[in-house]
Amino acid sequence: MIINVDSPILEIHDLTVSYDQSPVLWNVDLSLPSGKLIGILGPNGAGKSTLIKAIMGLIPTSGGYVKLFDRELNDVRSRISYVPQRESVDWNFPASVLDVVMMGTYGKLGLFKRPGKKEKKIAMDCLEKVGMQSFVDRQISELSGGQQQRVFIARALAQEADLYLMDEPFAGVDMATETAIFQLLKEMTAAGKTVIVVHHDIHSAMNYFDWIIMLNLHLVASGPKKDVVTEELLRKTYGGKLNLLTKVTDIIRQKDFNPLKN
Amino acid sequence: MSFDQNAFLIIFTASLISISCGLLGVFMMLRKMSMTGDAISHAVLPGIVIGFFVSGSQRGLEVVIGAGILGILATLLIDWLKNKAKVQLDASIGITFTLLFAIGIILINMLAYKVDLDQECVLYGEIAYLPIDLWITDAGFSMGPRITYLAVLNLVLVSAFIFLLYKELKLTSFDENFGLVIGLPAGAINLALMSMVSYTTVSSFEAVGAILVVALLVVPPATAFLWTKKLTSLIKLTCGLGIFIALAGYYAAYLVDSSIAGMMVAVGGIIFLGSAAIKGIRPNWAFGTSTPGKPLEI
Repeated sequence: MIINVDSPILEIHDLTVSYDQSPVLWNVDLSLPSGKLIGILGPNGAGKSTLIKAIMGLIPTSGGYVKLFDRELNDVRSRISYVPQRESVDWNFPASVLDVVMMGTYGKLGLFKRPGKKEKKIAMDCLEKVGMQSFVDRQISELSGGQQQRVFIARALAQEADLYLMDEPFAGVDMATETAIFQLLKEMTAAGKTVIVVHHDIHSAMNYFDWIIMLNLHLVASGPKKDVVTEELLRKTYGGKLNLLTKVTDIIRQKDFNPLKN
Repeated sequence: MSFDQNAFLIIFTASLISISCGLLGVFMMLRKMSMTGDAISHAVLPGIVIGFFVSGSQRGLEVVIGAGILGILATLLIDWLKNKAKVQLDASIGITFTLLFAIGIILINMLAYKVDLDQECVLYGEIAYLPIDLWITDAGFSMGPRITYLAVLNLVLVSAFIFLLYKELKLTSFDENFGLVIGLPAGAINLALMSMVSYTTVSSFEAVGAILVVALLVVPPATAFLWTKKLTSLIKLTCGLGIFIALAGYYAAYLVDSSIAGMMVAVGGIIFLGSAAIKGIRPNWAFGTSTPGKPLEI
């Protein structure tokens, strides 16, 4: 089930992406409303990160097009922000937390100009939003996984964009941080921003997102949570894996099965 | 000891060269491209030979341009082999620079009777001849050692390059994809850095040779990185190490009457090994057998 919207913030038409001749995304065709917290769900290797990277123009596409704010990507770069996977960079890089967050302001600064007081203020505000203000001068090599993730989110906030694309911001993050980040994302959407998040945990996704995209090489579903979260669509997305999961839950429910007792 | 003008000139020039190389080397190291620097320093050989052949002297601008073009070509070839032909990075570096270097050697041999250039000169250089290689103006007035002027010009350009593009270099070295997303021309910045490395290699090869330039690109930044985790201190420490290496290398060479450039790199290597040993041993006695922990996850 694919639900389209009028005047979408993001419109993808017939997008196909392939690595080495073999397609990893087939004919994805969707449109997304603005001001929503949107989750991209799917099993491993379903092309979730690929979809985000294709939207951001980081990988070549073999067909179709992407329109953001009804414009080409290059015209609206300053309105889009990106949180890459935490593992995509080397955290041994000699930089402080403040240095990394300031990088978010570089896009608006332009070539050759140096960040000044104004940029530093933006960065400090963003660090405060993610609760990292006491780590300003800490070297990034001395951060824990959850702290690294929050630094990346603060860097994206510092871009002051309207559309945020986040690649697995909850991966390897403990429950308290996850709740805090999710709270922040909710505040952002309440303020009119649109946030698209790649997520792999179905259970928490049911609580978090307003709009859900289900992906497994093809687009399975895209629509408001209440419309698309059906067993049939989940089964189509996760295939045998979901089958196994539901079976186990069924057995536990039926037989009051407790592995610790036996 | 009285003031020895020749010694001063040699140390001064060597310091300039090692600072230029170190400044670029910091960013090469952070981009995990130190060996690309190695590849470039060898791959510029055909460019040098062709430039030499066209201009008829090794002082010509053509030599620098030829080397610059070959340096960029080597970078593009490495990228192409890695991304399009799916060859591993180390293998594509190995293929590219040996091929281009071989072309350079063939060209030198083919043109040997026309140009005053040999592999020895390009590979090893000789900074000790610096005080007698003077820049003489058309009016016959001696302006001082030619290579010192080249080194000053090189350092000015390298410093200006890094000063102007500091934030871009920092961002693209840390997270190139993010740079692309916010609209920085990451590819162009990378090529600009590679061109600066090519130019620095050419500007320095007469003094320290194409092989030892690699050491100056790699060793001081790698040593400094053992001691600091801050980019500005990393750059300062690299420059300081460059000057120290030039100074200690000169006097060590003077003492045993050997190659100055060779001794500079040997000094650099010893400092690196010493630093690595100190840094490697310390956790053992300071923290027992456990590895130093990360701050608690919040």
